[in-house]
Amino acid sequence: MLPIKQGQLAIAMVCVVLGIMLAVQFRTTQDIKSSIPYQRVEDLSQRLSQTEKERDALINQVQELKRTSGAEAASKEFERIKMGAGVIAVEGPGITVTIDDSKRPSKPGENPNLYLIHDDDILKVINELWAAGAEAMSINEQRLIASSEIRCAGPTLSVNNSRYSPPYEVRAIGDPTTLENALKMRGGVIETLQFWGIQVSIKTQDVVKVPAYKGAFRFELAKPVQEGGR
Amino acid sequence: MLLPIAGLIIGLFIGVVFPITVPVEYAKFMSVALLASLDSVFGGLRAGSEEKFDNTVFITGFFTNALLAAGLVYIGERLGIDLYYVAMLAFGLRIFQNLAIIRRYFLKK
Repeated sequence: MLPIKQGQLAIAMVCVVLGIMLAVQFRTTQDIKSSIPYQRVEDLSQRLSQTEKERDALINQVQELKRTSGAEAASKEFERIKMGAGVIAVEGPGITVTIDDSKRPSKPGENPNLYLIHDDDILKVINELWAAGAEAMSINEQRLIASSEIRCAGPTLSVNNSRYSPPYEVRAIGDPTTLENALKMRGGVIETLQFWGIQVSIKTQDVVKVPAYKGAFRFELAKPVQEGGR
Repeated sequence: MLLPIAGLIIGLFIGVVFPITVPVEYAKFMSVALLASLDSVFGGLRAGSEEKFDNTVFITGFFTNALLAAGLVYIGERLGIDLYYVAMLAFGLRIFQNLAIIRRYFLKK
């Protein structure tokens, strides 16, 4: 091996600069990795799992409390009222309707909104099902009760003040064939939706489970009328 | 051969000890400048091995290369053209060429 004799000093100087740059660059790259977007994702996923745990614990607590307090009120009438109000989970024959956004790309110049599911599409389906004699219904684990809203919330759908994005799964208990026919009627809801390529699939099932309403009832202004009081 | 390695170690040491950071927006410039200096070091070593090393040429080459590379990146960013890759490619090629020449020199008895 022959040693390099010339220019050792100058090369050494440049090497010092090179070393500093290497170290700085190394640190900068590490900084980028530990910067906001990465941290934020981790932070959010951690918070999500924590909140989910909290929610599960609270649901358990609610069920526990319901079980202990419901012992004396096992009368049939009470049960029926609870079913009507949607505070207990019910099951029976019925259908499951899954609705998803259109896979068809919108043509240029065409309103892409036409190919998305909107609150009124879901409302039409729900309305048709109620009219066909559905006894209980849920959208994506949210029981539909008297005060349930179905509303567009940006790109998502708000049901019972919880937000869901497609696909939406509507479960309904009732006579399966009646319900299915009500939806598949000629010129009916499904035909209109499918015209825009929105994907709708209907499954009739012997046992459909509709979950209970998980929220609380709050009446700030309404009061029961004293019957025969005046 | 010892002096450049010692210089590199000193440089690394300074960089680690002093908390110098470059803003994320300038990380690209920094990486190109880094490559330019790496290219200069290899070029210098090659010239030294061929015994035609010239101090002025080496130092000016170092600075003009680094500045031209940074300028290319800047202009590329303004124009929306990735001139960044041009600098990267040019320096990368030259580093490999110089390395090959240095290797031949060392293998020669």
